Amino acid sequence: MNKIASRFRRALSLTSWVMASLSFVGTAGATEEALPSLSYDQTGERLLKVQANQLFESTDGGAAWTTIPLPDEVAEGRLVSATAEQALYIAGPSIGVQRSTDQGESWHEVDEGLPSQDVTAFTVHRNQPETLYAVVVDDGLYQSEDAGTTWKKMDGGPAQAVRRLVHSDMEGSMQTGWLYAVSDDAVRLSMDCFCGWRPTGELDAGRVYDLAYKLDDPEHVYVATGQGLWRSDNGGQEWQQVKGDGPTLVALTLAPQGTLYALNREGELMRSEDQGQTWTPLDA
Amino acid sequence: MRKRWILVTTWLLMSAAGQAMAGGGLSSRDTSRLEEGERIYQQYCASCHGSEGEGQPNWERQNAQGELPAPPHGPEGHTWKHSDAMLYGIIAEGWRDPWNKTERLTMPAFEDVLTPAEIRSVVDYLKTLWTPEQRRHQAEESEGAPFPSQSE
Repeated sequence: MNKIASRFRRALSLTSWVMASLSFVGTAGATEEALPSLSYDQTGERLLKVQANQLFESTDGGAAWTTIPLPDEVAEGRLVSATAEQALYIAGPSIGVQRSTDQGESWHEVDEGLPSQDVTAFTVHRNQPETLYAVVVDDGLYQSEDAGTTWKKMDGGPAQAVRRLVHSDMEGSMQTGWLYAVSDDAVRLSMDCFCGWRPTGELDAGRVYDLAYKLDDPEHVYVATGQGLWRSDNGGQEWQQVKGDGPTLVALTLAPQGTLYALNREGELMRSEDQGQTWTPLDA
Repeated sequence: MRKRWILVTTWLLMSAAGQAMAGGGLSSRDTSRLEEGERIYQQYCASCHGSEGEGQPNWERQNAQGELPAPPHGPEGHTWKHSDAMLYGIIAEGWRDPWNKTERLTMPAFEDVLTPAEIRSVVDYLKTLWTPEQRRHQAEESEGAPFPSQSE
C-alpha cells in the first residue's frame, strides 16, 4: 500500500512540477537548467559529482570516477543534490529525498513528511548528520532532525527560488549555525533557528551558481558567479573578486586541506591550491 | 486592557485544558505570572518590540548599522521558533548580531535588571501572542531545552 501511495505521490509531484515548469517558460526557464553539482564527503574522503542525472564518486581527487547506482525514480526527475554525512542522500524535483547506507545498492525514500517530492535544494547540518534541510518548491524550507523520518516546516524560505542550500557552523548564530541559500540573483543567509533571511554583502556579479566555505574556518566563503569567483573573509558580509582568468564555474566545494574543487558547465573538474586564482583541469 | 484579558483568558483556557488532561487543577500562579510578564514587557521590552509585540518597521531588513531591527513577537515573527532556554538566555544575556557594525549588543541584556522568575514570566507572556500550532512547536523545541531551574 505504501508503494502505491508513494507512486501516486510521485506521479502527482511530477505532474505539478511539469505544470509549474511550463507556466514559467520564458521567465524562469533558465533556472530549470540541469547544472552539475559537487560536494566533498569528509567521512568517505571522496568527491561526489552529480551530472546529467547521474551520480559519481572519486576517491583520488578527481582522477577517476565511479558511478554510484541510483533508484529508478531518478530517471523521472531531476537530480540536483548529493550529500554524504555518514549516509548518502540524493534530492531533486520529483525525486524528493532518498537515503542510502550501502553506497547506492539500495535507496529509501525519507520524504514521507514533506508535502511533495519537488525538492529544489537540500543539505545536511554540518555537525549533526541526522539534521536535514530541504526546500520544497512553492512551499518553503523543511527540517528533519531524525534523518528524514519526520519533517517540520521552518519557514517560507527566501522569496527567490533557491538553487543551493549550504549549512555552516560559523559562529554568531543563536542556534547551532547558519544556512546559506543560493539563488540566481544573490546569496542569502539565515541562522538555523530561521530568524529571517538577509542578503549577504553586495555581490554585483551576474548569476550566482554555488557557494562553499572553509571547513576549518567557516568565515572564509567562496561563491561561483557568472563573473568569476568571489571570496569573503567574514561569512559573506563583504565580497572581493578573486583575481584570475579562470573559467566560469557552476559548482564548488572545499576539501578539508583547503583545496578548492569546481565544475564548469560541462561537468569537468578543476582544482585550485591557491584560493581560486589558478585552476588545473583534472578529468579532461 | 480588553486585549490583555482576551490573551490571559486564552492562555488560561489552554492551560486548563492541558492540566485537565493531565488530571491537575488550574493554578492561580499562571494568572499572576502572565500579568507580571505583561507588566514587565510593557516596561522594558515594548519600546523596541512594540506595545502589542508588533516589532519595528522593516524588521526583516538590515539597517545602516548592519543590524536587523527588533522583530515582532506575534505569529508573523520568529520568537516562537526558539526554546524556553534560548529565549531566557537571550533576555538574560542579550545577543549581538555578528553583522552589527557597532560595539553595542543588538538585544540588551536584562540579567542585572530582572530576576530569573521575571524573565520567565515575560517569556510566558510572549507565548500568549502565538497560535496554538506555534505554541506546540515551541513546546517541542523546549523539551530538551527548558527554562533554567533558578527561574522556578
